[in-house]
Amino acid sequence: MATLLRQALRPHRLPASPRPPADVPHRAGSHGVGLLYPDHIPTSLLQKALLAAGSAGMALYNPYRHDMVAVLGETTGHRTLKALRDQMRRDPEGAQILQERPRISLSTLDLGKLQSLPEGSFGREYLRFLDVNRVSPDTRAPTRFVDDEELAYVIQRYREVHDMLHTVLGMPTNILGEIVVKWFEAVQTGLPMCILGALFGPVRLSARSLQVLVSELIPWAVQNGRRAPCVLNLYYEQRWEQPLKALQEELGITPPPVDLKGLV
Amino acid sequence: MAAPSSCLLWNYCGRGWSPAMLFCRLPGLRSSWPGGPLGARLLSHEKQSTETHFGFETVSEEEKGGKVYHVFESVAKKYDVMNDMMSLGIHRVWKDLLLRKMHPFPGTQLLDVAGGTGDIAFRFLNYIQAQHQRKQKRQLRAQQTLSWEEIAKKYHSEEDSLGGSHVMVCDINKEMLKVGKQKARAQGYKAGLAWVLGDAEELPFGDDKFDVYSIAFGIRNVTHIDLALQEAHRVLKPGGRFLCLEFSQVNNPLVSRLYDLYSFQVIPVMGEVIAGDWKSYQYLVESIRRFPPQEEFKEMIEDAGFQKVTYESLTSGIVAIHSGFKL
Repeated sequence: MATLLRQALRPHRLPASPRPPADVPHRAGSHGVGLLYPDHIPTSLLQKALLAAGSAGMALYNPYRHDMVAVLGETTGHRTLKALRDQMRRDPEGAQILQERPRISLSTLDLGKLQSLPEGSFGREYLRFLDVNRVSPDTRAPTRFVDDEELAYVIQRYREVHDMLHTVLGMPTNILGEIVVKWFEAVQTGLPMCILGALFGPVRLSARSLQVLVSELIPWAVQNGRRAPCVLNLYYEQRWEQPLKALQEELGITPPPVDLKGLV
Repeated sequence: MAAPSSCLLWNYCGRGWSPAMLFCRLPGLRSSWPGGPLGARLLSHEKQSTETHFGFETVSEEEKGGKVYHVFESVAKKYDVMNDMMSLGIHRVWKDLLLRKMHPFPGTQLLDVAGGTGDIAFRFLNYIQAQHQRKQKRQLRAQQTLSWEEIAKKYHSEEDSLGGSHVMVCDINKEMLKVGKQKARAQGYKAGLAWVLGDAEELPFGDDKFDVYSIAFGIRNVTHIDLALQEAHRVLKPGGRFLCLEFSQVNNPLVSRLYDLYSFQVIPVMGEVIAGDWKSYQYLVESIRRFPPQEEFKEMIEDAGFQKVTYESLTSGIVAIHSGFKL
């Protein structure tokens, strides 16, 4: 029992590395020793449990704490991320993504080129989405608490693809739009954080929005989520020129039943 | 060896830089110059950056100051909330006990170093005020035959309720001072309070100025604790008292294990959830482990020239109050 407890308290590390003497508190230095990727913070099972509970509570209490939603995703998603990663490996485009590890940020996007693309193309619509909603791809927090570096990339990719999903689904970044996208992602990825977000997000909605959400938006999101292939398998960076409508057809995504900009 | 006074020698010694250190020291710094090891460094004539600890990491001395500054800059706004959460409010009791030990009286000149958010300073002012009020009550009760006019005059008197007491809050970090000033404004503390930006290793005050020097939960973050102690000795008046409230070593093995568990498993998580900052709170719990235990710290205080050095452990040794006198 005592050894089990001690194991739960040690930060997770690679199995081959030698362990320090028991009960000596350990922290990997910032010089990269013991870290699997630059922002990695090794955590024990107990710490992950506490983080999951704390971040869930804080995210509900203060919905502006996006970092808490991210932490919740990282601490609860281990098994699901593995399944997602395996799914990506089986798909040719997904496998390419895993190998090349593209990142979406202002420094990697060629905004000038996106601007020059024809109207209706995916790249142009994505840029319009960023402008209209005044968001930037750089606000995504880096992964910290995932103890496997490939899975850390998978969750990072999932976060960076989130804005693409907004564009493809035609959802704005207000709270209703976010919940709809969360439902879509919950069905698509099965991440516990998405499921929890989808179930508990609507708690703060007005009655009217809630009604629209439940009667039309959720069924639409769930249907599309089931029909579409795994969205993480799309190499979005290679599809900027593809017309948005063609992309939506490829994924089997229908236009939204309600215009959300009037609501909320 | 003679006390050197040129800036160049500071360069050779590779000491951590802080803005205060950029001007040359005056010749009268006999007590601030540590002996032996520095002598060897001077002779070798090369800039050596000695290493020190930053939590469980090893960093150069120059780096440490900046890193600590960064930590407190980012925790300043949530500092008080986090203190309450992490210690479950017990830190208030510890600070009250420090004041009780200090037992200041009207006219005391206090220097509170690393006192950024003002907890000790406000308690000091409250203590003096409470004393003053008790004294007034006693006086009134004793004088039973006063006329109404005289009694009314007593209540209206503009007599300085602090009796000349003054607290100088000194901190190296601007953000912490900012938070402290905001608190003072919000809680209505004005008289007898001053805020100064300064480095504990090189205080911007003359010799023999203060009656009491206090440092609560600050000295473990100082890069050169011995220098801070020497500065404390310098600025105190003869007869002045040095008081330090700091995390120390737990003396009970069971409590120690629970404390370690709580420190390393819960506190960084709390920091992440409440303040969005894991690393600062990881540094906090590690820096506590790096601080010398009670006896060793007592010896360091004695080395700086203090006498009658004693310590009192609180809460099984989680914190300790060290006290010394400049005689």
